[in-house]
Order: sequence, then C-alpha cells, then structure tokens
Amino acid sequence: MTVCHDVQSQLSALVDGQLPERSVQATVRTHLESCAACRGALQDLEKLRRTAAALGPMSPPDHVWLEVAGQMHLKPAQPVETPRELPRRTALVQWLGLAAAMLLVTTGAYFVSQQQAAPSSTSVAAGNAQTPGTVEAVAEELSMATEHYEKAIAQLEALAQSDGSTLDPSVAATLRQSIQTIDQAIADSRSALTQDPGNDPARDSLFEALRRKVVVLQATVSLMNEMRKGNQAGAAQAAAIAFGKKS
Amino acid sequence: MSSSNPSSHVAGHIDLGLADRCRREVPGAFEELYRLHSPRLFGLAYRLVGPNEAEDLLQEIFLAAHRKMSLYKGESSLGTWLFRLGTNQCLDYLRSKRARLALLTDTMDREPDAPGTSAGAILGVVERMDLERALTALPPGARAVFVLHDVEGCEHRDVAEQLGISEGTSKSQLHKARMRLRTVLARGKATERS
Repeated sequence: MTVCHDVQSQLSALVDGQLPERSVQATVRTHLESCAACRGALQDLEKLRRTAAALGPMSPPDHVWLEVAGQMHLKPAQPVETPRELPRRTALVQWLGLAAAMLLVTTGAYFVSQQQAAPSSTSVAAGNAQTPGTVEAVAEELSMATEHYEKAIAQLEALAQSDGSTLDPSVAATLRQSIQTIDQAIADSRSALTQDPGNDPARDSLFEALRRKVVVLQATVSLMNEMRKGNQAGAAQAAAIAFGKKS
Repeated sequence: MSSSNPSSHVAGHIDLGLADRCRREVPGAFEELYRLHSPRLFGLAYRLVGPNEAEDLLQEIFLAAHRKMSLYKGESSLGTWLFRLGTNQCLDYLRSKRARLALLTDTMDREPDAPGTSAGAILGVVERMDLERALTALPPGARAVFVLHDVEGCEHRDVAEQLGISEGTSKSQLHKARMRLRTVLARGKATERS
C-alpha cells in the first residue's frame, strides 16, 4: 500500500511535470484519488508555485544608483582589450574623478598608518619589526587626513562654481551641514585618539566618520553629474535621498 | 539559463551595443544598463540575502559589472550575464563567514515537512507579501534553490550548476523548501485567525 510520505516526496515533481515514469505517475494519482491530505498538499504546492512565479522584479530605492555612480568614479573599469578613443569628458567629470580618487588614497593611507601605529599585542610579543606609533605620529597622520579631505571639498566646491553649475542653495546648505556634523565627529575622535592612541571606540568612531564623509562626497559627485546633465530637480532630490540614508 | 529569462528576448546586437557604450564610458550608458536590469537583480538579492543586505549587494553587483564589462563577449544576453554575476555575488555573500555565523542553526532536516496528514489543503490564497516574508524562514541553500527555480524560472541543471550541487539535491531541496513554506504560511494564517 502506498503511504502518504512516499507520495508527498513526489508531489513537487508532479507539480513541475517531472514525475519520471508512467508507473510512478499512476501510483501517485491513484493514491491522490483516495487521500484528501495528499490532494490538499498538492493544491498548496501548486498555489505556492504560481505565486512564486508571479513575484517578479522589485524597484530598488533611488539612492542605490547614486551610490553606484559615485563608487564608479573611485573604481575604474578594467581596460578594454582593444584600445579605443575615449569620449571627451568634461573637465568637471575629470576633476571629480581626481578628487574622489584622492579621497580613496587618503583613507587608505590613513588606515594603513593606523594599523602600523597600533600593532596587536600578539605581533609585539612575537617581535614584529613594525615600529609602534607615537602620539605625535598619530596626530600628524590624522591632521594630514583631515587636510586632504578639506582640500578635496574645497576643490569640489570651487569646481562646481567654475563649471558654471551652482548648487541649489538648499542642497548646498544640506551639504555644508552634513560635512560640518561629520567634521565635528572627526575632530572629537581625533582629540580622543591624541590623548589615547589605543582608544578603540574612538578609532572606530573615526573610521565611521571618515566613511560617512566619503559617502557624502560620493553623493556630491553623483549630484554634480546630475547637474552637468541639467537635471536640477533630480540632483536636489538625489542629494536629499543620499544624505538622508547614510550621512 | 532558463528560456524564461526576459532579457533573453533582447536582440543580441542591442546588448552588444550597450555593452560597448558602457566600456567606452559613453555618458548615460551605464545608467541605462542599471535602469534596465536593476529591478530583476534587486528582487534576486532581496530574496536571496534578505532586505537588509539587498541594497549593498545590488551596488556590488553593478560595480562588479562595471569592472568586468570588458569580459562580456555577447555569448549570452546582458541580462543573463548580469543574472549570473548577481547570483554569484549573492551566493558568495551567503558563503561568507559573516553570513554563516548568522545562520548557524539552519537545517531543513530538523523541521517537520508538513502539517498532519489528516489535513487537506491548508492554504487559502497565497499573497505575494506573505510569501516574501515566509522566504526569510528558509535556510540559505533551500531559499536559493526555491528563488532560482520557482521565482526566476531556472531549470534544475542551471540551479545545480550555480550552487555547485547535484540536480538530485536541487530537486530535494526544492521540495523541502516548498513544504517548509507551506508550513510557515499555514502557521501565519492560523496566527491571523487566533
């Protein structure tokens, strides 16, 4: 006698029209005629299959494209195998790419310097040759990182004006506010680290603040691209969304 | 990949043209690629890795596409190429240490496959939102098989290839996933009624 367990293990194949042999199909169908539980399971699996097939695509939030566009300036594509003449890009885009790249280098240099300045106790005990950082060295690295960021921001702002595409005042204000808030967090963390270079929470806060600053500047890159295309409303909306999410 | 892939209907020369414009960084080309394919890939990421990580995964998928566009030779549609890239990104994430730690207790074998055999059909209309929620109750492996086969319309051989499992395992995981979803959805209905 066919038991429900044996039949239920075949139900998915039946739903998909993939029961292998006619003899198996006949056995399953015979059982289904007399078993309400297995018939019910079959009906449920068919409903599940239909609903699953109807789930379809989902529109991602708008800010995801802005972040992709911003990141693309930081991570150039692999070179094309057959070199082609690249289309002439505007000075704005070239400068934005340079500024974004500088941010990446600055952040990377800072993280490396931090790792060298604060080796783990294990590596010190093992006689690792890395030189532990001094308070002065950490302060100098932090100062350099901040200086580079500020320089990048100044270039971006100057660039926007020289390109003739001024930022919408409300968007510019949002940008300034975001940057100021992050700068304050960076200053607080830097102060704490200057007093105690081994202060892990302060270091984590600093990393987070630097990351947020990169996000805001990436959003700025995307925003300016939108402005370059003449889409003022879209740029303002994009900036608000981007900053609202991760600033 | 499955013939149900909507992108396979796109004429090859159109895909090659768009890929070429993306490679040459023609303004607007990559955004066009993103607008065309991000909804399907976002749905894929949302269902495979969950809503909390889907946005980050979508970013990673398109950044990977940007980096690797020179490798696209037109053997398949851009949609299929991106779908494979996206699936791999999501599966890599699920295989990562971080994801494994979060899902250590996952197993399909501990749970009963279905409610008592005395019941008939236990589901009424299966709403899409309910199914989306119920998907999160599946372990990553079974969820991946269900999403790729039942949602995306891939054949078992493609699912097996993508996941690095046998076709037989794909079929058994799919059945267990469906039965688990049936149980989860039935419990949800019962909770609503009580």
